[in-house]
Amino acid sequence: MSLAHYILIGLTMGVVFGFALEKSRVFEPGIIVGQMQLRTFIMLKVFLTAVATGAVVLALMHGFGLVKLAPKPTLYGADIIGGLVLGAGIALAGACPGTVMAQVGVGYRDALVTLLGGIGGAIAYGYAEPILKPMLLTGGPGRITFADLAGVPYWMLALGLAAILVAILYGLETWRPWRGEVGRDVDGLADR
Amino acid sequence: MAGVSLQDRAWSPYLAGIVIGLLQVPAFLLVETALGASSSYVTVGGLLASLVDPAIGRIDYVARHLAATGKNWWQVALVAGIAIGAFASMRLSGARRHAISPAWGRALASRSSGVRYAVAFIGGFIMLFGARLADGCTSGHGLSGVAQLAVSSTVAVAAMFAGGIATALLLRRV
Repeated sequence: MSLAHYILIGLTMGVVFGFALEKSRVFEPGIIVGQMQLRTFIMLKVFLTAVATGAVVLALMHGFGLVKLAPKPTLYGADIIGGLVLGAGIALAGACPGTVMAQVGVGYRDALVTLLGGIGGAIAYGYAEPILKPMLLTGGPGRITFADLAGVPYWMLALGLAAILVAILYGLETWRPWRGEVGRDVDGLADR
Repeated sequence: MAGVSLQDRAWSPYLAGIVIGLLQVPAFLLVETALGASSSYVTVGGLLASLVDPAIGRIDYVARHLAATGKNWWQVALVAGIAIGAFASMRLSGARRHAISPAWGRALASRSSGVRYAVAFIGGFIMLFGARLADGCTSGHGLSGVAQLAVSSTVAVAAMFAGGIATALLLRRV
Protein backbone atom coordinates (compact mmCIF):
# COMPACT_ATOMS: atom_id res chain seq x y z
CA MET A 1 0.00 0.00 0.00
CA SER A 2 1.19 3.51 -0.71
CA LEU A 3 1.37 6.29 1.85
CA ALA A 4 -1.76 7.82 0.31
CA HIS A 5 -3.68 4.62 1.06
CA TYR A 6 -2.63 4.69 4.71
CA ILE A 7 -3.66 8.34 4.95
CA LEU A 8 -7.05 7.61 3.40
CA ILE A 9 -7.63 4.70 5.78
CA GLY A 10 -6.55 6.89 8.71
CA LEU A 11 -8.88 9.72 7.72
CA THR A 12 -11.84 7.37 7.27
CA MET A 13 -11.24 5.65 10.60
CA GLY A 14 -10.71 9.02 12.27
CA VAL A 15 -14.05 10.34 11.00
CA VAL A 16 -15.81 7.30 12.50
CA PHE A 17 -13.80 7.68 15.74
CA GLY A 18 -14.61 11.40 16.00
CA PHE A 19 -18.28 10.81 15.21
CA ALA A 20 -18.56 8.22 18.00
CA LEU A 21 -16.63 10.44 20.45
CA GLU A 22 -19.00 13.32 19.74
CA LYS A 23 -22.14 11.22 20.01
CA SER A 24 -21.02 9.66 23.29
CA ARG A 25 -20.21 13.16 24.70
CA VAL A 26 -17.02 11.69 26.19
CA PHE A 27 -14.97 14.49 24.59
CA GLU A 28 -16.72 17.12 26.76
CA PRO A 29 -14.45 18.76 29.37
CA GLY A 30 -17.37 18.51 31.80
CA ILE A 31 -17.47 14.75 31.31
CA ILE A 32 -13.71 14.15 31.46
CA VAL A 33 -13.14 16.37 34.52
CA GLY A 34 -16.42 15.02 35.95
CA GLN A 35 -15.08 11.48 35.58
CA MET A 36 -11.82 12.37 37.30
CA GLN A 37 -13.85 13.98 40.12
CA LEU A 38 -15.90 10.75 40.24
CA ARG A 39 -19.11 12.69 39.61
CA THR A 40 -20.06 11.24 36.23
CA PHE A 41 -19.10 7.90 34.78
CA ILE A 42 -19.69 8.29 31.05
CA MET A 43 -15.96 8.30 30.29
CA LEU A 44 -15.49 5.00 32.12
CA LYS A 45 -18.54 3.52 30.36
CA VAL A 46 -17.29 4.42 26.87
CA PHE A 47 -13.73 3.41 27.74
CA LEU A 48 -14.56 0.01 29.25
CA THR A 49 -17.06 -0.79 26.46
CA ALA A 50 -14.41 -0.01 23.83
CA VAL A 51 -11.84 -2.12 25.70
CA ALA A 52 -14.28 -5.05 25.99
CA THR A 53 -15.19 -4.79 22.30
CA GLY A 54 -11.54 -4.55 21.32
CA ALA A 55 -10.71 -7.58 23.49
CA VAL A 56 -13.43 -9.67 21.80
CA VAL A 57 -12.43 -8.77 18.23
CA LEU A 58 -8.74 -9.20 19.01
CA ALA A 59 -9.40 -12.55 20.70
CA LEU A 60 -11.16 -13.73 17.53
CA MET A 61 -8.66 -12.29 15.05
CA HIS A 62 -5.68 -13.52 17.08
CA GLY A 63 -7.32 -16.86 17.81
CA PHE A 64 -7.78 -17.46 14.08
CA GLY A 65 -4.20 -16.38 13.40
CA LEU A 66 -5.15 -13.29 11.38
CA VAL A 67 -3.20 -10.73 13.38
CA LYS A 68 -0.11 -10.35 15.54
CA LEU A 69 -0.46 -8.58 18.89
CA ALA A 70 1.74 -5.57 19.59
CA PRO A 71 1.85 -5.01 23.37
CA LYS A 72 4.11 -2.15 24.42
CA PRO A 73 7.35 -2.88 26.33
CA THR A 74 7.00 -2.92 30.11
CA LEU A 75 9.07 -0.12 31.67
CA TYR A 76 7.64 0.35 35.15
CA GLY A 77 9.29 3.71 35.92
CA ALA A 78 8.28 5.29 32.61
CA ASP A 79 4.81 3.74 32.70
CA ILE A 80 4.08 4.98 36.24
CA ILE A 81 5.66 8.45 36.03
CA GLY A 82 4.44 9.00 32.47
CA GLY A 83 0.96 7.78 33.40
CA LEU A 84 0.73 10.10 36.42
CA VAL A 85 1.87 13.13 34.38
CA LEU A 86 -0.47 12.17 31.52
CA GLY A 87 -3.38 11.91 33.98
CA ALA A 88 -2.60 15.31 35.51
CA GLY A 89 -2.52 16.76 31.99
CA ILE A 90 -5.85 15.16 31.09
CA ALA A 91 -7.50 16.74 34.15
CA LEU A 92 -6.12 20.23 33.34
CA ALA A 93 -6.74 19.93 29.59
CA GLY A 94 -10.17 18.34 30.10
CA ALA A 95 -9.18 16.17 27.15
CA CYS A 96 -6.94 13.33 26.03
CA PRO A 97 -4.61 13.45 23.02
CA GLY A 98 -7.43 12.00 20.85
CA THR A 99 -10.48 13.77 22.29
CA VAL A 100 -8.87 17.21 22.08
CA MET A 101 -9.30 16.89 18.31
CA ALA A 102 -13.03 16.27 18.78
CA GLN A 103 -13.12 19.46 20.90
CA VAL A 104 -11.41 21.32 18.05
CA GLY A 105 -13.97 19.87 15.64
CA VAL A 106 -16.99 21.11 17.57
CA GLY A 107 -15.46 24.57 17.91
CA TYR A 108 -14.08 24.76 21.45
CA ARG A 109 -11.56 27.57 21.10
CA ASP A 110 -9.43 26.60 24.12
CA ALA A 111 -8.91 23.17 22.54
CA LEU A 112 -6.66 24.85 19.94
CA VAL A 113 -4.48 26.06 22.82
CA THR A 114 -4.50 22.56 24.36
CA LEU A 115 -3.45 21.20 20.97
CA LEU A 116 -0.59 23.73 20.73
CA GLY A 117 0.51 22.81 24.24
CA GLY A 118 0.39 19.14 23.26
CA ILE A 119 2.57 19.70 20.21
CA GLY A 120 4.96 21.67 22.43
CA GLY A 121 5.03 18.84 24.97
CA ALA A 122 5.77 16.28 22.25
CA ILE A 123 8.63 18.43 20.90
CA ALA A 124 10.02 18.87 24.43
CA TYR A 125 9.86 15.10 24.91
CA GLY A 126 11.71 14.60 21.62
CA TYR A 127 14.60 16.69 22.96
CA ALA A 128 14.45 15.02 26.40
CA GLU A 129 14.22 11.42 25.23
CA PRO A 130 17.99 10.80 24.78
CA ILE A 131 18.53 12.08 28.36
CA LEU A 132 15.66 10.05 29.84
CA LYS A 133 16.58 6.87 27.99
CA PRO A 134 19.33 5.55 30.30
CA MET A 135 17.24 6.43 33.37
CA LEU A 136 13.75 5.22 32.52
CA LEU A 137 13.58 3.64 29.10
CA THR A 138 15.87 0.63 29.25
CA GLY A 139 15.64 -2.84 30.80
CA GLY A 140 12.35 -4.20 32.08
CA PRO A 141 10.69 -7.53 31.33
CA GLY A 142 9.81 -6.62 27.72
CA ARG A 143 6.52 -6.87 25.82
CA ILE A 144 4.68 -9.07 28.30
CA THR A 145 0.95 -9.64 28.64
CA PHE A 146 -1.08 -11.13 31.46
CA ALA A 147 -1.76 -14.10 29.18
CA ASP A 148 2.01 -14.75 29.04
CA LEU A 149 2.26 -14.46 32.83
CA ALA A 150 -0.70 -16.78 33.40
CA GLY A 151 0.46 -19.20 30.71
CA VAL A 152 -2.95 -19.34 29.03
CA PRO A 153 -3.89 -18.54 25.40
CA TYR A 154 -4.55 -14.85 24.75
CA TRP A 155 -8.04 -15.42 23.37
CA MET A 156 -9.16 -17.18 26.52
CA LEU A 157 -8.05 -14.43 28.91
CA ALA A 158 -9.23 -11.66 26.55
CA LEU A 159 -12.74 -13.13 26.44
CA GLY A 160 -12.62 -13.51 30.22
CA LEU A 161 -11.67 -9.83 30.57
CA ALA A 162 -14.53 -8.84 28.25
CA ALA A 163 -17.00 -10.86 30.34
CA ILE A 164 -15.82 -9.20 33.56
CA LEU A 165 -16.05 -5.74 31.95
CA VAL A 166 -19.61 -6.42 30.77
CA ALA A 167 -20.57 -7.35 34.34
CA ILE A 168 -18.93 -4.15 35.67
CA LEU A 169 -20.70 -2.05 33.01
CA TYR A 170 -24.03 -3.66 33.87
CA GLY A 171 -23.48 -2.68 37.50
CA LEU A 172 -22.39 0.87 36.56
CA GLU A 173 -25.46 1.39 34.38
CA THR A 174 -27.79 0.10 37.10
CA TRP A 175 -26.15 2.42 39.62
CA ARG A 176 -25.89 5.50 37.35
CA PRO A 177 -28.05 5.35 34.19
CA TRP A 178 -26.26 7.22 31.38
CA ARG A 179 -29.29 9.30 30.39
CA GLY A 180 -29.18 10.93 33.80
CA GLU A 181 -25.50 11.78 33.38
CA VAL A 182 -25.32 13.55 30.00
CA GLY A 183 -27.03 16.72 31.24
CA ARG A 184 -29.55 19.03 29.62
CA ASP A 185 -27.00 20.56 27.24
CA VAL A 186 -25.26 17.16 26.68
CA ASP A 187 -22.06 18.44 28.29
CA GLY A 188 -22.11 16.34 31.44
CA LEU A 189 -22.93 19.32 33.64
CA ALA A 190 -25.77 19.17 36.13
CA ASP A 191 -28.14 22.14 36.27
CA ARG A 192 -27.09 24.61 38.90
CA MET B 1 -30.77 -0.33 16.61
CA ALA B 2 -34.24 1.14 16.50
CA GLY B 3 -34.35 4.74 17.61
CA VAL B 4 -30.69 5.52 16.92
CA SER B 5 -30.06 8.28 14.42
CA LEU B 6 -27.07 10.23 13.14
CA GLN B 7 -28.99 13.34 14.21
CA ASP B 8 -29.14 12.36 17.89
CA ARG B 9 -27.49 14.74 20.32
CA ALA B 10 -26.20 11.81 22.37
CA TRP B 11 -25.79 8.09 21.87
CA SER B 12 -25.56 5.55 24.61
CA PRO B 13 -21.93 5.26 25.78
CA TYR B 14 -22.22 1.54 25.07
CA LEU B 15 -23.10 1.99 21.39
CA ALA B 16 -20.34 4.57 20.94
CA GLY B 17 -17.87 2.35 22.82
CA ILE B 18 -18.68 -0.61 20.57
CA VAL B 19 -18.09 1.52 17.45
CA ILE B 20 -14.74 2.70 18.84
CA GLY B 21 -13.71 -0.82 19.86
CA LEU B 22 -14.56 -2.17 16.39
CA LEU B 23 -12.02 0.25 14.92
CA GLN B 24 -9.36 -2.19 16.14
CA VAL B 25 -10.40 -4.47 13.25
CA PRO B 26 -9.20 -2.19 10.42
CA ALA B 27 -6.28 -0.98 12.57
CA PHE B 28 -4.90 -4.49 13.03
CA LEU B 29 -5.94 -5.95 9.67
CA LEU B 30 -5.14 -3.06 7.34
CA VAL B 31 -2.45 -1.07 9.15
CA GLU B 32 -0.99 -3.83 11.37
CA THR B 33 -1.06 -1.53 14.36
CA ALA B 34 -3.34 -0.70 17.27
CA LEU B 35 -5.52 2.36 17.73
CA GLY B 36 -3.45 5.22 19.17
CA ALA B 37 -3.19 9.00 19.04
CA SER B 38 -0.22 10.48 20.89
CA SER B 39 2.61 9.38 18.53
CA SER B 40 1.15 11.67 15.88
CA TYR B 41 2.05 14.67 18.04
CA VAL B 42 5.73 13.74 17.73
CA THR B 43 5.36 13.42 13.95
CA VAL B 44 3.68 16.81 13.59
CA GLY B 45 5.71 18.49 16.35
CA GLY B 46 8.97 17.07 15.01
CA LEU B 47 8.13 18.32 11.53
CA LEU B 48 7.32 21.83 12.79
CA ALA B 49 10.39 21.96 15.06
CA SER B 50 12.66 20.82 12.24
CA LEU B 51 11.77 23.98 10.30
CA VAL B 52 13.47 26.00 13.05
CA ASP B 53 16.01 23.43 14.26
CA PRO B 54 16.91 20.82 11.62
CA ALA B 55 19.07 19.04 14.28
CA ILE B 56 15.93 17.64 15.95
CA GLY B 57 15.56 15.29 12.99
CA ARG B 58 18.85 13.65 13.98
CA ILE B 59 17.45 12.54 17.34
CA ASP B 60 16.66 8.84 16.78
CA TYR B 61 13.31 8.99 18.57
CA VAL B 62 12.11 11.97 16.51
CA ALA B 63 13.54 10.54 13.27
CA ARG B 64 11.52 7.33 13.79
CA HIS B 65 8.33 9.40 14.06
CA LEU B 66 9.20 11.59 11.08
CA ALA B 67 9.89 8.68 8.74
CA ALA B 68 7.48 8.46 5.79
CA THR B 69 5.99 5.18 7.01
CA GLY B 70 2.36 4.17 6.63
CA LYS B 71 1.88 3.84 10.40
CA ASN B 72 3.22 7.34 11.20
CA TRP B 73 1.06 9.14 8.67
CA TRP B 74 -1.94 6.85 9.19
CA GLN B 75 -2.05 8.08 12.79
CA VAL B 76 -1.71 11.75 11.82
CA ALA B 77 -4.63 11.26 9.41
CA LEU B 78 -6.62 9.41 12.08
CA VAL B 79 -6.27 12.28 14.53
CA ALA B 80 -7.20 14.84 11.85
CA GLY B 81 -10.21 12.69 10.96
CA ILE B 82 -11.41 12.81 14.58
CA ALA B 83 -11.94 16.58 14.24
CA ILE B 84 -13.86 16.11 10.98
CA GLY B 85 -16.06 13.34 12.40
CA ALA B 86 -16.87 15.32 15.54
CA PHE B 87 -17.66 18.39 13.44
CA ALA B 88 -20.02 16.38 11.21
CA SER B 89 -21.77 14.81 14.20
CA MET B 90 -22.20 18.20 15.87
CA ARG B 91 -23.63 19.76 12.70
CA LEU B 92 -26.05 16.87 12.23
CA SER B 93 -27.39 17.05 15.78
CA GLY B 94 -27.26 20.80 16.21
CA ALA B 95 -25.43 20.47 19.55
CA ARG B 96 -23.57 23.77 19.08
CA ARG B 97 -20.95 24.58 21.69
CA HIS B 98 -19.81 27.78 23.40
CA ALA B 99 -16.30 29.06 22.62
CA ILE B 100 -15.24 27.65 26.00
CA SER B 101 -17.19 24.99 27.88
CA PRO B 102 -19.13 26.28 30.90
CA ALA B 103 -17.39 23.44 32.77
CA TRP B 104 -14.30 25.66 33.04
CA GLY B 105 -16.11 28.54 34.71
CA ARG B 106 -16.97 26.02 37.41
CA ALA B 107 -13.70 24.05 37.58
CA LEU B 108 -11.36 27.06 37.53
CA ALA B 109 -13.73 29.43 39.40
CA SER B 110 -12.97 32.02 36.72
CA ARG B 111 -14.73 33.17 33.58
CA SER B 112 -11.51 34.63 32.17
CA SER B 113 -10.56 33.07 28.85
CA GLY B 114 -6.92 33.99 29.56
CA VAL B 115 -6.92 31.82 32.67
CA ARG B 116 -8.45 28.95 30.71
CA TYR B 117 -5.95 29.31 27.85
CA ALA B 118 -3.02 29.22 30.30
CA VAL B 119 -4.37 26.08 32.01
CA ALA B 120 -5.16 24.49 28.63
CA PHE B 121 -1.62 25.07 27.35
CA ILE B 122 0.00 23.65 30.49
CA GLY B 123 -2.47 20.74 30.50
CA GLY B 124 -1.79 19.94 26.85
CA PHE B 125 1.95 20.21 27.33
CA ILE B 126 2.24 17.82 30.28
CA MET B 127 -0.43 15.53 28.79
CA LEU B 128 1.72 14.85 25.74
CA PHE B 129 5.00 14.81 27.64
CA GLY B 130 3.53 12.21 30.00
CA ALA B 131 1.94 10.21 27.20
CA ARG B 132 5.22 10.02 25.29
CA LEU B 133 7.15 9.06 28.44
CA ALA B 134 4.60 6.32 29.15
CA ASP B 135 4.69 5.40 25.42
CA GLY B 136 0.94 5.76 24.96
CA CYS B 137 -2.21 7.64 25.90
CA THR B 138 -5.84 6.85 26.61
CA SER B 139 -6.03 5.26 23.16
CA GLY B 140 -2.73 3.43 22.71
CA HIS B 141 -2.35 2.24 26.31
CA GLY B 142 -5.97 2.51 27.39
CA LEU B 143 -8.10 1.13 24.57
CA SER B 144 -5.51 -0.95 22.75
CA GLY B 145 -3.02 -1.97 25.42
CA VAL B 146 -5.54 -3.07 28.03
CA ALA B 147 -7.50 -5.03 25.38
CA GLN B 148 -4.23 -6.78 24.49
CA LEU B 149 -3.74 -7.54 28.21
CA ALA B 150 -0.39 -5.72 28.15
CA VAL B 151 1.21 -5.38 31.59
CA SER B 152 2.76 -2.00 30.65
CA SER B 153 -0.60 -0.55 29.59
CA THR B 154 -2.46 -1.75 32.67
CA VAL B 155 0.17 -0.08 34.89
CA ALA B 156 0.13 3.12 32.79
CA VAL B 157 -3.70 3.35 32.79
CA ALA B 158 -3.86 2.85 36.57
CA ALA B 159 -1.27 5.64 36.98
CA MET B 160 -3.17 7.82 34.51
CA PHE B 161 -6.41 7.60 36.48
CA ALA B 162 -4.52 8.14 39.76
CA GLY B 163 -2.86 11.29 38.39
CA GLY B 164 -6.11 12.47 36.82
CA ILE B 165 -8.20 11.98 39.94
CA ALA B 166 -5.61 13.61 42.23
CA THR B 167 -5.37 16.65 39.93
CA ALA B 168 -9.11 16.97 39.29
CA LEU B 169 -9.80 16.99 43.02
CA LEU B 170 -7.70 20.19 43.23
CA LEU B 171 -10.14 21.85 40.80
CA ARG B 172 -13.60 23.08 41.81
CA ARG B 173 -16.54 20.73 41.30
CA VAL B 174 -17.83 20.79 37.73
